[in-house]
Formats: sequence, C-alpha cells, structure tokens
Amino acid sequence: MTTVGQLVLSGLLIGGIYALMSIGLTLIFGVLRVVNFAHGEFLMLAMYGAWAMTKYLGLNPYYSVVAIVPAMFLFGVLVHRMIVAPALDKPHLVVVFATMGLSILMQNVALMAMSADLLDVPPMLGGRSFSFGPFYAKPELLIGFAVAVACTLALRFMLQATYLGKAIRATVQDGEAAQLMGVPVPRIFLITFAAGSALVGLSACVMMPLFSVFPTVGLNFVLIAFVIVVLGGMGSIEGALLGGICIGIVQSLSSYYIAPAFGQMFFFMLFLLVMIFRPAGLLGRKGEASIGIND
Amino acid sequence: MDAAPPIAKRRPKRWRLMPERGTLSLFELALLAICVALVVARPPQYLQDVIIQTFLWAGLALAWNIAGGFAGLISFGHAAFFGLGAYTSTILTVNHGVTPWIGLWIGGALAAVFATLLTLVCARLRGPFFILSTLAAAEVVRIAALNWEKLTGGAEGLAILPTASVANMVFDSKTTYAALMLGYLVIVYAVTKAVEGSRYGYYLFAARDDEDAASAAGVNPLLARTGAMGLSAFLTGIGGSLFAQYFLFLDPTHVLSPELSFQFALLPALGGLGTAIGPVLGSFAITPLSEMLRVYFGGKAAGLHLAIYGGVLVIVMLYFPSGIAGALRRLAQRRRSDAP
Amino acid sequence: MTALLEVRDLTRAFGALKAVAGVSFSIRAGELVGLIGPNGAGKSTLYNVIAGAIAPSSGEVVFKGRPVAGWKPYQAARAGVARTFQIPKPYRHLSVLENVALSALLHERTVAAARDSAGVVLAEVGLADYLDVPVANLTVGLLKRLEVARAIALRPSLVLFDEIMAGLTPSEVKGMTSLVAALPARGITVIWVEHVLYAIMNTAPRIMVLHRGELIADGAPATLAKDPAVIKAYLGEETSLA
Repeated sequence: MTTVGQLVLSGLLIGGIYALMSIGLTLIFGVLRVVNFAHGEFLMLAMYGAWAMTKYLGLNPYYSVVAIVPAMFLFGVLVHRMIVAPALDKPHLVVVFATMGLSILMQNVALMAMSADLLDVPPMLGGRSFSFGPFYAKPELLIGFAVAVACTLALRFMLQATYLGKAIRATVQDGEAAQLMGVPVPRIFLITFAAGSALVGLSACVMMPLFSVFPTVGLNFVLIAFVIVVLGGMGSIEGALLGGICIGIVQSLSSYYIAPAFGQMFFFMLFLLVMIFRPAGLLGRKGEASIGIND
Repeated sequence: MDAAPPIAKRRPKRWRLMPERGTLSLFELALLAICVALVVARPPQYLQDVIIQTFLWAGLALAWNIAGGFAGLISFGHAAFFGLGAYTSTILTVNHGVTPWIGLWIGGALAAVFATLLTLVCARLRGPFFILSTLAAAEVVRIAALNWEKLTGGAEGLAILPTASVANMVFDSKTTYAALMLGYLVIVYAVTKAVEGSRYGYYLFAARDDEDAASAAGVNPLLARTGAMGLSAFLTGIGGSLFAQYFLFLDPTHVLSPELSFQFALLPALGGLGTAIGPVLGSFAITPLSEMLRVYFGGKAAGLHLAIYGGVLVIVMLYFPSGIAGALRRLAQRRRSDAP
Repeated sequence: MTALLEVRDLTRAFGALKAVAGVSFSIRAGELVGLIGPNGAGKSTLYNVIAGAIAPSSGEVVFKGRPVAGWKPYQAARAGVARTFQIPKPYRHLSVLENVALSALLHERTVAAARDSAGVVLAEVGLADYLDVPVANLTVGLLKRLEVARAIALRPSLVLFDEIMAGLTPSEVKGMTSLVAALPARGITVIWVEHVLYAIMNTAPRIMVLHRGELIADGAPATLAKDPAVIKAYLGEETSLA
C-alpha cells in the first residue's frame, strides 16, 4: 500500500513539474491559437543556459532563474517578431512548419555547439530526501512542485486581477471583439508568447537539478507537454496543472507495475483516448477541437 | 458558323511547358528522362546511394502529400505507416519465407487499415489537434515495436539476409535498386497525377479548402479524408518495404522515429504542398544536398546539414509558402505574361 | 399538391436561447418564397437546420415526402437541396471555374463535362470573364455571385439563398433578381433570405417573416407591408418595407 502511495506522491510531484513546463504552451495556444512545435527546444535552450551558469558562474539553477527567465522572455520576443507574427495571417501550415524548422535548427545548433553529451548539474541540496511518515521525496521535486503551484496561482491572480490579464482573457475569448474594444491584440500576442517562453525558462531551472540536458532533450519533453496541454484543455492553466499531475501519476504507476517504456506508451494512449472522447480536455471549452484554429 | 462557342473553351491540345493539374508537361517528361539517364548511366557507388535515396524519398514525399497537401491532413506520424510496411514485409520474409514482392502489398494494406482507423477515430479533430494525434499514434506504434521483441526483435531490430535474387528482392547491383526506386517513384507520381486530375481530387481540394462548403456541395468529407489518408498510408507502407529491402536492416529508430515523420512532411513543404511536382522537387533538392553535407562535414560538424535544413524551412515557409513548385509557377506565369 | 418542403414545429435551441422556435410552413415545388426578418431572427439557423448543418432540437423537416431532420449536409445536397452561405466560403486554392465545377460534379460523369457545365452557369451569373481567376482576388460582390453559381450548378430541386444581393450595384441587383425569378421555371424552388428588401418585395409572390425565432407572418408582400406585427418587428430598422 505504501508503494502505491509513494508512487502516487512521486508522480504527483514530477507531474507538477511537467505541468510547469506545459503552462507556457497552453497559454500560447489559448491566446494565439498556435502550437509552438519548438517548445521543447526552448526548454533545451534554457536548460543549457542554467547548466552553463552553474558550470561557469557556480550559480545554482534556483538562483540563475533571475537571469534565465528574462533571457527566455527576450528570446520569446525575438522568435515571435521574426517567425510567429509574420506567420499568423498565413495558412496554418506555415506556422506549423516554421516552428518545426526552428525546432530542427535549434536542436542541431545545440548539437554542433555542445555535442551530444548528457550534461548535469551537481546535486546541491545535500542529496538527502525529506520524509513524511512512510513516504519520502527529494527536495528538488518538492521545490519544483511548489514553484509549479505558486506559478499557477500567480498566473490565475494576474489573469483575474490585472488589466493585462483581462486583456489576455478577452483575446482568448474573441480576438476580433477584443481588438474593437481597444485591446492591443498584436501586443498581447507578443507578450503572451514571450511570457510562455519565460515560463519555460522557469521550468528549466527547476528541472535542471533533476534531468540531464542534451540536444534532443526537448523532443522527449515536448511530447509530454503536448499530452498535458491536450488533457488539461488547450488554454487552461489549471488544466495544465491537473493534466500534468495526471500524467505524472500515470507514468509513475505504469513504469513501476508494467515497464518504463510502456509508461510512455500509456500516456500516448491516454492522449488518444482523450482526443477521441473529450478532445477539449478536462477543463477546456467543449467543441474547441472541432474548430481547431482560425484559418 | 452560327453555333455559339462553348463558354469554357477546352484547352487546345498541345504540350504544356510547366506542370499543371490534369496533364503531363514537358518539364515532367524532361525530369523523367533525366532520372532514367541517371539510372542507366551507372554512376559511381556513392552517387548511386544518393540517387536511390532521392528517388525513394521523392516517392514517400508524394505519398505524404496526398494526405497532407491534397486533403489538408498534415500528419507528423507517417513513420508509423512506413514502419508498419517495412516490418510487415520483413517479418513475412524472414519468419515465413514470403517473397517481398507479395509482402510489400500486405504491408501497404496493413498501413492503410491502420490509417483508416486512425482517421475515423480522429474524425472530429482539426488543425493542431489532428497533427498531435498522428504524432501520438506513431509513438504508440514505435514503443510497441520496441517492446514486442518476439515479433520485431525490439531495439536490436531485424536483418534481412543479403542473398541476392529477384525473388528475394535483394540485388547486388545498385543500378537495379535505383531502377526499383525509380519505378516506385514513377508509380506514386502517376497515382498522384491521376488523383489530382480526377473528381476525387476535386473532392479532396474542396474538403481541404472549406469543409462546410464542400459538404453543402455533396462531398462526404469524412469519406474523402479517410480515403486520402488510406491511400497515402498504403503508398508509404510500400515505400517502407522497399526501404527494408535496400537497407537490409530495420529497427524502431530507423523506421518509426518522429524525426522520420518530420522528414516526410518537410520535403513536400519545401517542394510545394498540394502539387504533384512539389514533393518531387523537394526531394530532388534536399536529399542529395543533405547526403552531401552529411558526408562532407561528417562527425565534426554533425548536425550542420540538419541545422541548415531547419533554417531553410523557416525561411521558405515565411517567404515562399508555396515552396519550390510555387516559385517555379510564378516564374512561368511571369514569362507567359511577358511574352507578346 | 404535395409540398416539396415541409417544416413542422421546428425548434432549435442553444442553451436557453431558442434561435428557431416552433416554426411551421410548407413550400410547394415551383414557388419563390422570400424570408425576411431583423438580424438575429433565426434565418441562418433555420437554413442550417434545413440544409443539415445542424440538427433541430425538436420538430420535423420533410423533404419530398421524406423526414430528413438531422441529415448531413452532403446528404441534403445529393437529395436536391442547395444553399449559399451568408459569408461566402469559396475554395481558396481553386479557380472560379473549379469552384463551380466541384458542384457540377454531382451530376456530371467526367471532370471535363463538369468544367463545361460550370462555365455555362458562370456565364449566367455574369462571371464568364473570371473563369481562371484565383478566388483570392475576387471582391465580395463577385464572391456572392460565385456562391449562387455553385448552388445552381448542383441542379437542385430547392435552393436556399442567403443574402446574395449584398455588395451588388443596382444594375447587378436587377440582373441577379431576374436570374432568381427565372429559377422556378427551370424546376428550382427558391427560398430567399434577403436584406435588400426592395428586390425581394417586388419579386417574390410570397414572403415569410421571422422574428426572434418565430414565424410572425406568411403571405403576399402587399399584405405584409401593412401587418402591424411585421412593422413592429422592423421598428428601428432603417430599411423600408415597400
């Protein structure tokens, strides 16, 4: 019984971290109606950044957040200006393939610059796990989960209470109407995309103590992120958290009881099941998947 | 002559220079002639490998295009069909002694059935939802193949004995392989052109461009989409079998990876989605280039060719969304309007 | 004479809002019937239900004696119901001729024959000069005419026109009106939603008025123009009724 409990706990914690990584993606989709296929490479870039700051500046990834998050924000601005914004008024396949191309470009530039080696940061929190009764948890996992929850709450607050948040929600609901009401929609697109990128930066700092970075690390995580975003409902932040937790638990349980590789397969099958029966996800708007995007 | 001329004049029967829907052009014939010449001329070994792969990839790009370009069903999961075809014919050959000439049809059919089921199951999904579903489905197939060791050999894969014979579809001479792949390319191209000019092609284009309007005009969009995906998967699966016979080794990384799936989509995107000649041009431009870059830069700058690839894709998508074929067409139109 | 189309107590609700509320009418073959009403009256929803784009919440639709409520749009088209869209939905990557040829394929056996017959229809709506023009280059007025051509090319028994006059010049309106008026003689029954009222009030022998989902009037234009309920529904509208 404690085994199951432990697995659920570990799954919950890692799921929160997966969710943090996916919030940017779901936000971007909710507002811009665009799937950023280079999302995994944004994560990879930020992870390399965090690793480099540890290696060359001795800065713990939790501290290098102050540098990585703004840097990723700026990177997001750059990518949006150069690639996403010009693609928005063209057929949907343009943004799909353009972000795909960016993904391939980034993966291979990383390969050339950093080689294919797996890189890690040394453990810096003592290496001992916290225990709660019969269960234990690594501090890195706890911190990551806490950041994820805090982030979700902060975003929700921002969306409800600030003008920017309201403008974003208005754009999500009806971009044209929002524009007519004076919401600077192109600016909102830019800010959202850059914020999504910054959120990826945050999650990279939290993930670096737990995972190795290598040029194609993005591919593994982006598939997980896609599943979480779809499961939770595209555009829903709480949905991403919920979806992440579900995925984390499913993966944890199936990896143990069946086999690690099958763990991955299970959540793809979960993805397909969600797609078939409730494509809008747990917290998404019904019927959304049938509209897809505005073409 | 009192009869009023028909309102829509039938085009006079003369050869067109540039590729067009429904007819064969001089450009296409010239390209075919060049391809045949490349096979017959017996170039050096390393070039022959490039030629073989170029022809195969052109066929695969065309196959993807039937779903992605004609029907608008962008799929990032075509490796599943490729792999299903490859594994089916190989398992039949290796374990049951079935000749690949028959095995490839079975592989193709299996891929088609899988594709049809997938499309039906994802019937209500559009845009990125559909794309991601194809990605997920392909991953399911890959992981299944990786773990079902008894059937597929798992990560170690399957090898085909290199005993050359026509019945085995294994050849000593690269020229024969080149001819085989060219045959595949020509057949897939013929199928593509036939679809493009047929009423079925019209249904696909209409359903792609505006599903509601097409429905209101009597087209059953689900049937059209499913048929396109099935045909695309069938041809892709056959390509997979041919690849297996050439490469003589299969494993999930080589025939079921997401990177492979992206490649299937990239070539038509660069060459020009939605046209017949586009995917061919895409493959002819990119495959030799990437092979040469890979060979030339080798290990030191591993990934350079792909980085260039990615960068080019971004630029092409933003500035030449109709790809190489679109650029050629505009060139031809400009020349036609310049002519007196 | 049996009705071509019969609608009985048709209702379509979206949540608590009844877009179409208990509408009943019957249309015989060969009629030319106008359908008017203020914005939001439910005209598009009614069309969508008849043409199969959405299913009714309750009630019946009977076409050529067959109950068809809830059918799919392509089934409606094949059975002989054609419709245009208020916001034109052309096939962007096809030429004008090809747009109409797709419709013509319903009845023609070959692509070439479909293209020929599309050309004929396009000439009828005055688009003969635009055959090979890519659709992206057309103005709204031309796109509306393309919608009409696509509908006619289906050789339907019943056509549902949705505001086909918007964006046309007065002389174009005249031309389109004559075209529409001639359709019943060709065996095409017409229901015609229109906001350009002077065109429809002078052409259609019968007008139905929809308001807030309900059919509030159904009769000759002259009678309708004096009907207090109809006048009230249009109060505040800038269009005049006569």
